[in-house]
Amino acid sequence: MTAPCILLVEDNELGRDMLRRRLNRAGYDVVTAADGEQALDIMRDRQPALVLMDMSLPVMDGWTACRSARADSRMCQIPIIALTAHAMANDRQSALAAGCDDFATKPVDFPQLLAKIRTYIPT
Amino acid sequence: MSLRRRLTLSLFTILVLFAFNVGTHFWGSYARSESMVAYRQAVEAAQLSTELEQMLNDQRQQILVLATLRETTDDRLDDREQERAVSDIGNIRERIRNLGALSRDVTQLQYERLLASGNALLDEWLAFYLNYNDDAFAVGVDDPLPFLEASQRLKELEQRQAFIAVQRASVIDRTIALTDRITVIGFVASIFLTAILGFFLVSYTNDSLKRLKRGTERIGSGDLDYRIEDIDDDGELGDLADAFNTMSDKLRAAIEEEQQAKRDADEANAAKSIFLANVSHELRTPLNAIIGYSEMLHDELGDRKRLNRPQFQEDLGRITLSGRQLLALIDEILDLSKIETGKMALNIEEFHPEAVLHQVCESLIPILQQKNNQLTIDLGENLPTLHSDAGKFRQVLINLLSNANKFTHDGDISLSVRRGNPPYDIWIAVADTGIGMTPEQQEKVFEAFIQAEPGTSAAYGGTGLGLAISRDYCELMGGRLSVDSTPGDGATFTVELPAGPTSVPAAA
Repeated sequence: MTAPCILLVEDNELGRDMLRRRLNRAGYDVVTAADGEQALDIMRDRQPALVLMDMSLPVMDGWTACRSARADSRMCQIPIIALTAHAMANDRQSALAAGCDDFATKPVDFPQLLAKIRTYIPT
Repeated sequence: MSLRRRLTLSLFTILVLFAFNVGTHFWGSYARSESMVAYRQAVEAAQLSTELEQMLNDQRQQILVLATLRETTDDRLDDREQERAVSDIGNIRERIRNLGALSRDVTQLQYERLLASGNALLDEWLAFYLNYNDDAFAVGVDDPLPFLEASQRLKELEQRQAFIAVQRASVIDRTIALTDRITVIGFVASIFLTAILGFFLVSYTNDSLKRLKRGTERIGSGDLDYRIEDIDDDGELGDLADAFNTMSDKLRAAIEEEQQAKRDADEANAAKSIFLANVSHELRTPLNAIIGYSEMLHDELGDRKRLNRPQFQEDLGRITLSGRQLLALIDEILDLSKIETGKMALNIEEFHPEAVLHQVCESLIPILQQKNNQLTIDLGENLPTLHSDAGKFRQVLINLLSNANKFTHDGDISLSVRRGNPPYDIWIAVADTGIGMTPEQQEKVFEAFIQAEPGTSAAYGGTGLGLAISRDYCELMGGRLSVDSTPGDGATFTVELPAGPTSVPAAA
């Protein structure tokens, strides 16, 4: 049985490397993207089981990427968890409004993030 | 016309009318009393005339009796009787003279006639008495003609007096009627005029007052743009309207000031909230790496099979790097906060800008090489010695050069230094061939946490505090920092500084 594939969209190199490795260790196959456009391409081609999306991204930001994904029939079913250092209450609202299914703040509480992932990818 | 002038005029008019009425009354009284005197004189004259007629009749009777006695008897007058008769004649003359003193002006003719005939008669009578005892004296008193003439003249005078009395009485009647009429007319006219004056005064004033009332009500209900116009009065009401208009202007200015102050405070508050949100965001990014790697390494330590020492060391290095980034960020935030609260002090010393510029450029060589950028340094001649904060000067240059490097790839970065245009002593330009900025972006580029575009922070890194701090440092040193750029065609940041921070106090 192949491991479920998670797309990690993160522009900060250290943050991306760290989270990729931790998710690998937790048993997930991880593909990464550094901006919103790359993320959309990968979602379209690879159909990941779940997306972890940073919102402040170069080229195309996370909010725009989410709205595009939700408007596209090939991607609208893929669950997206917003992962952002914008930790104010209205940041959560704006992420959900853009079409994210869930919201987690940085610094990441990893066990909590895993729990959230498992609600979308039952093992 | 002012209210006071209107009132004064009205009062004056009423006083004039009143004076006219009083004058008429006095004139009437005077005319009446004049005529009254004449009338009384006429009456008195009539009385005197009657008495005189009686005396003349009595005297004539007595003389006729005495004449008869003289002819029929030897009776003679003694001295005493003669004296009394002479005195009676004198009395009659006296009476005639008294009669002349009354209404002399209008009865002159009649009086003179009476006087002439009276004198002739009385002379004859006096001669009769004086010569009574003289037998040779021929008595001529039988002749009635002189007496009748004198009587006739007296009657004429009497008639004239009566005529004058009647005339005077009618003058009195007419005067009374006239003054009564004048008084009544004056009274009615006064009432009428007073009413009209009052009406105009009230309606004039009332109109203005109504407009004033309406104006103050509108101003009171908050319509501060309303102006009380059309008060046709250069007096008190006009002044009052002006005062209300001025008050409304001042109120509006005060309210606008208040609202502006509130807007400013709200903006400052909002800016502070955004700043806090940005600080939180920027602190969380390195913390995410620090906490994430630490937890991961902790897990790996517990699993000896997976422990990869070189990888472990590299990850520890990343934690340290993130920690240092976090520290630098905190330092920058503190610096910015110090500048904003006015607590940032300058550390003044003498230094040569060339030396600092060379050090800065050398230290930046590694990052320039990373982005494959070429740095050109162009130092002018006779550069001044600065008496300023060398550390902040260095910091500004590092920020500008690393900023230029950050937004430029495989390009050229040039650093030009010249003597400055007064009032500045030194002019430094950092130009790059990077992505550039639109005019709107240039306006905001010096604001804290703002990079030209929300996405750029993520794409090019950095906190967006460097330029804000650089600009503040330049201003603190008495100079200024400006930018000129074309989108896609690079940007040029220009620093202009005085030799010392106090030499251009106005620019600070």
